Amino acid sequence: MTDSAMVELRGVTKRFDGKRQVTALHGVDLVVPRGEMVSIVGPSGSGKSTLLNLIGGLDRPSAGEVVIDGQALAGLTDDGLTRVRRDKIGFIFQFFNLLPTLTCLENVALPLHLRGWSRRRTLERARELLDLVQLGHRLEHRPDELSGGERQRVAIARALSVYPPLLLADEPTGNLDSATGADILALVRDLHERLGATVVVVTHDPTVAESCARTITLRDGLIVGDERR
Amino acid sequence: MILLRLITWPYVRRHLARASLTTLGIVLGVAVFVAMYTANQAVLRGLEHTVDRVAGKTQLQVTAGDAGFPEDVLERVQAVPEVKVAVPVIEATLETGLTGQGNLLVLAVDMTGDRSLRDYDLESGDEAMIDDPLVFLAQPDSLMVTEEFAKRNGLHADSKIVLGTMLGDQTFTIRGIMKPTGLGSAFGGNLAIMDIYAAQQVFGRGRTFDRVDLALRDGVALDQGRAAIERALSPGFEVAPPSSRGQQFESIVQVYSISMNISSLFALFIGMFIIYNSFAIAVTQRRADIGILRALGAFRSQIRTLFLVEGGVAGLVGSAVGCVAGLGMGRALVGEVATMLEGVFGIVQQPAEITLTPGLLLFALVVGVATSVVAAYLPARQAARVDPVQALQKGRYQVLTAGQNRARRRVALVMALASAALLWLGRSSVPFYTGYVLAILAALLLTPTLALLLAEALRPVLRWLRPVEGTLAADSLIQAPRRTSGTVAALMLALAQVIALGGISLASYAGITDWVDTALNPDLFVTADPSLAVRTFRFPAAMGPELRSIEGIEAIQQVRSVRVPFRGGPVLVVSVEIGGLQERARREPVAGDAETMYRLAGEGKGVMVSENLADLRGLALGETIDLPTPGGLLHLPIVGIVKDWSDQLGTILIDRQVFIRQWHDDSVNIFRIYLKPGASEAAVKARIFDKFAGSRRLYVLTNREVRGYIMRLTDQWVGMTNAQLAVAVIVAILGIVNTLTVSILDRRRELGVLQAVGGLRGQIRRTIWMEAVAISVIGLALGLAFGAVNLHYILEITRRDVGGMNLAYMYPVSIALGIVPTMLAAAFVSALGPGESAVRGSLVEALEYE
Repeated sequence: MTDSAMVELRGVTKRFDGKRQVTALHGVDLVVPRGEMVSIVGPSGSGKSTLLNLIGGLDRPSAGEVVIDGQALAGLTDDGLTRVRRDKIGFIFQFFNLLPTLTCLENVALPLHLRGWSRRRTLERARELLDLVQLGHRLEHRPDELSGGERQRVAIARALSVYPPLLLADEPTGNLDSATGADILALVRDLHERLGATVVVVTHDPTVAESCARTITLRDGLIVGDERR
Repeated sequence: MILLRLITWPYVRRHLARASLTTLGIVLGVAVFVAMYTANQAVLRGLEHTVDRVAGKTQLQVTAGDAGFPEDVLERVQAVPEVKVAVPVIEATLETGLTGQGNLLVLAVDMTGDRSLRDYDLESGDEAMIDDPLVFLAQPDSLMVTEEFAKRNGLHADSKIVLGTMLGDQTFTIRGIMKPTGLGSAFGGNLAIMDIYAAQQVFGRGRTFDRVDLALRDGVALDQGRAAIERALSPGFEVAPPSSRGQQFESIVQVYSISMNISSLFALFIGMFIIYNSFAIAVTQRRADIGILRALGAFRSQIRTLFLVEGGVAGLVGSAVGCVAGLGMGRALVGEVATMLEGVFGIVQQPAEITLTPGLLLFALVVGVATSVVAAYLPARQAARVDPVQALQKGRYQVLTAGQNRARRRVALVMALASAALLWLGRSSVPFYTGYVLAILAALLLTPTLALLLAEALRPVLRWLRPVEGTLAADSLIQAPRRTSGTVAALMLALAQVIALGGISLASYAGITDWVDTALNPDLFVTADPSLAVRTFRFPAAMGPELRSIEGIEAIQQVRSVRVPFRGGPVLVVSVEIGGLQERARREPVAGDAETMYRLAGEGKGVMVSENLADLRGLALGETIDLPTPGGLLHLPIVGIVKDWSDQLGTILIDRQVFIRQWHDDSVNIFRIYLKPGASEAAVKARIFDKFAGSRRLYVLTNREVRGYIMRLTDQWVGMTNAQLAVAVIVAILGIVNTLTVSILDRRRELGVLQAVGGLRGQIRRTIWMEAVAISVIGLALGLAFGAVNLHYILEITRRDVGGMNLAYMYPVSIALGIVPTMLAAAFVSALGPGESAVRGSLVEALEYE
């Protein structure tokens, strides 16, 4: 493991057991240095989301090793894995995954509550983040009262709630029109530059891929391309 | 807890109806329990309050059960050096005949000595009269009433009031009005004071008293005084503080209390399955939320705790609402309970206010919360295990079914075998109840497997009925047996209990009918009270020959019953001429030889005991019992055990001559009258009334009326339990609604595709309806089958711990047949709402679900 690596995958394989065994990733090796913005592209079923889930500690590999910020995930208990997610990783999802019953402020505050922060400190940070994504005027609105772009901004603010060193985005513009998608992409890029976070974006969208300094291409569970700009 | 506010509360607000449904199981269980308990307690506290107020400064009371004793006992008590003052008392209730006033408790005392024990606290103007007891004594029509009773009936000093006495209607004069404090507040204010010698006439007590109230000399300890009095009297007397009467009452009504508690706990147990079901739904519905929380860094333990706390809060809210509802139900019920206890046990009471004591509130809350948390445990564990990756993928849901769980089946089999072995091994309580619990657990563990097998068996039938809808409905059940197992289990338990209690009712009715046919076969019954169990009034023995002389009467039997203490619990001693009983109402004993039994009992050389007494107290044929009586210990062997339904706590039948000798009492409670062949019932009844008109208070009941009375009491008894069963069945039906809701949620896409490819709304509705009816059929099949096992256990519990009744095993086929259409119809009705929700909403959204 290189000191400067935020994400390191060594020979990672992921198999899904069912009526028919499916191997989604075949011995993937990958290093993402700290502060880099990487896009992962590939056709449907190529293993993009599986790779992201493994990096995010949402799933465990069938073989190989995943190391995040110098910490190997293999030996961690479920609680240990949860702690890594909570402290080091922010997730941005295609379908936003906001809790529909909570206001913007509450959605952003949720990860902080899970960390046991005080109510005052939590709300201060949540307001600050919503200001950062230019939604300071929508604090008390619920997700169904927002546009798609606004919802994704809330999701981004939530992902940033603890200023994690690693930001994972799964098709962040996939559910948005092109103009809004461009806005969100600009925001992610801006945050990456301002906060210095490592960003890994899974996308189908060539515009999104091209906006990243590095693009990794997956096909049939293998890395078939690794292009730096 | 912040998660509760952020995650649970918004969900509850959005699904208020379902949240209410979740707590309804607990609400109903707790409400039924609180209602039954508070109603019982109100009756009991009513008695305790009356006992306390009437007791005054009384330290000890001398009684001989409710039999009473001759006047000379008073002198023997007064002669005990430790006794400072001892006064005689007759305490009885009689109907006032005043509209809406019910019963009046008459405390009959000897005014010359009684004021040293009781403060009558009279209105100022009346003090002069009571200061000279001779004035009161000299006028046997004197009566003192409470201020409250006087106000309610517009009475004042010198007012006249007519009361039905043993000597017919008599007019009494109000000679004192007590203030509504202390003694004046006893029996809800419906209290009257009468001279004891006048009361002996009024209640037909002859020269007997009901009890002696006494105070000990200063410095004499209670136990010391008690021992001294007991030494001066024979073993048939009880010397105890007034407070012990409450305990006696409790032990008399314990059968009733146990029955009611079992039923309410059962309702709570079924409620637990509804909570389980509701939480399982909540976990399914909130899978995505759980996934988000897990992705954002929530630990499994946080998710599990969240659901357990939700369970606890639901339990707390459900119990609190249940307590309030229970108080309301208790208020509605208390009159019924009091009436029934009067009818069954002969205890007339003025119930106290229904109240919720802190202890009961705490118990109800703890039971409600514990039940709810236990029920929420499995769904909470399931929630904690939700895979965040699957949960976050839109439409991919956690598979609820784990297929056939072999380990579970093995455990169930072991439990079933262990339960059978325990049944075979021992009759003592621990193996028996352990076996029962194991049988229930085995049935519950087998439910998913059996439900799956039955669903597979139903598939061809449903398919034949409706090829598309039937197949979809059956497949839904087959693919997710665990989704329905909670509801099926609730249904199974509820129905098994219906079958068990139905079987008890059936066997009870059969047993009672048989007993009434053989033992209660006189043509007429002459009683002093319309309630056969109340023994306030007694006829003099001299009335026997007078009755016998009436034209049309062939034979009479004189019955005197008393409730006395026996081996630490109350028992009913029924005295009757055994010879006459053998001749007219011969019963075959369940143990012993009929000829020997009747001969020895008739000669006063033995007693007959009821089967329930033998079972409850472990008595055997040939065993000699020592029955304490005012005339000393009655030391006689049991010469026969017979089926007898006279009393739930058991009966000892002795010959009348033995009773007269031992109790020094020849009075009669009931005359059983046999008519000459061809004599008209109505004519003889009229002649009896004519003969005693104006001189005797009496009721003449025909055999049909007595049968009706007994059957009405049985109906009331069974009816109380049935009401609770209705609650249990309603709770189970709510489970069907829950199951269908989650089924629709799980199959949203499948139903969407069905509509997209041309399925009509009607077809979707029918699919849901058929699924509901199929769940009901499965629940019915399992419930009716497990009911057969449950009936065995409940009969055994009834025999060993509740009433001692050895009831025949009779499967209630008619009840089973009646419940089938009821449950099917209920299932259909409960499917209407979910059926509609399945066809409403956006088709596009449903198709996007994957």
